[in-house]
Amino acid sequence: MSIITSEYVDVRTQALKLGCNAPTALALLPINFDTAKSKDELVHEDSVLTIRKLFRQAGITETKIEKDGEKIPYEQRKSFEWVAPTLFVSASLLSQNANFISIALNVISNYLTDYFKGIVSDKTVKIDIVVEQTEKKKSKRIQYEGSFEGLDELTQALKEIRNL
Amino acid sequence: MNEKVQIFQVEFSEAANDFQKFCFMTRAKELQLEACAALEALRLQASKIKQEAINSQDEDAANAMLSFEEMIDALLNELRMWVALKEDDADTAWNYLVSAQYAARTAMQAHSVANHLNGYVQHLYMLEQVLFPPLGFFSPGVIIEQSKCSICGQEYGECEHIVGKAYMGEICLRIIEKIKEIKEISLVSEPANKRARIVRLTDENGIVRNVMTWRAVPQQISDNAETENQENFYDR
Repeated sequence: MSIITSEYVDVRTQALKLGCNAPTALALLPINFDTAKSKDELVHEDSVLTIRKLFRQAGITETKIEKDGEKIPYEQRKSFEWVAPTLFVSASLLSQNANFISIALNVISNYLTDYFKGIVSDKTVKIDIVVEQTEKKKSKRIQYEGSFEGLDELTQALKEIRNL
Repeated sequence: MNEKVQIFQVEFSEAANDFQKFCFMTRAKELQLEACAALEALRLQASKIKQEAINSQDEDAANAMLSFEEMIDALLNELRMWVALKEDDADTAWNYLVSAQYAARTAMQAHSVANHLNGYVQHLYMLEQVLFPPLGFFSPGVIIEQSKCSICGQEYGECEHIVGKAYMGEICLRIIEKIKEIKEISLVSEPANKRARIVRLTDENGIVRNVMTWRAVPQQISDNAETENQENFYDR
């Protein structure tokens, strides 16, 4: 299992630069959101549509960075590794509900419990979470790679990030 | 749970215990084929009960019967694998094993009546490790523009069905409709589709060999000569 923390672009600035909606609360970011030069380059993780539905069903509201009527294609890799879309969580959302990320991760974890049923081999998941840090006008990215049973440790790492 | 499902559960349990005794290399081929025929009959019975559950809009029963159908398929495919191995048809045997693994997984995803299958899933995985040589698999990376839901036919992102979950006796699949770009074909050890594999290679002496049997095969061979099962392009 590995958890890597790094700096990330200012999400709202980058969204506006690309001509996308600037997320105000939770958003699912494309794989190459931080490096894309134009909107046409954006590609979502394959899991984005399913995660959107799960969040919707759990009452978790998301700001779509896509403008109305626009679609971002998604990349599918047919290996057994499960990769989540990058979750962006704004500073204001976290200040309103400190447990928000735990709730979102719980939804994902419940889904993965069913997803990995009947699979004996490696049950690796990759999840990137970008947390906005208002005062510093920047964001931190936490990249988790490991067993889906170890997602609790990601929650702990996120708590530490918020204290930075 | 629906009474008919409960009765079938007992019947299936007895049949599964009985037929599992044929899941060994040493068992007689004709008895394994008889067991296959009996399992096919049992599957028809399961499908009939599932259809009745669908007609009466009993989703729990329909999903339970889907799970039984898949458990029967798993056992049936394992038996067919043993028969194919005896017939010296290793490529077909591999496809049957993969079908058995997928069926066992689907059974577990469809309903809790298959929650006890972990041991059987482990057994199938062990067969993969012991009976077959190490294999190389392909994993295509594609950019998708459009896909639809197999349950309702709507664009996958627009409906509420979740891929891999059972709805009224049917597993939700995402059917890929429009591919923007094929980005890569990677060699992986843990593919989503174990049928997408290297079937032949050229050895150090320049001889083209079947990866399963190590027999020399002609240089020019049709793509479907060694592996017949082609999975539709859908996602779980």
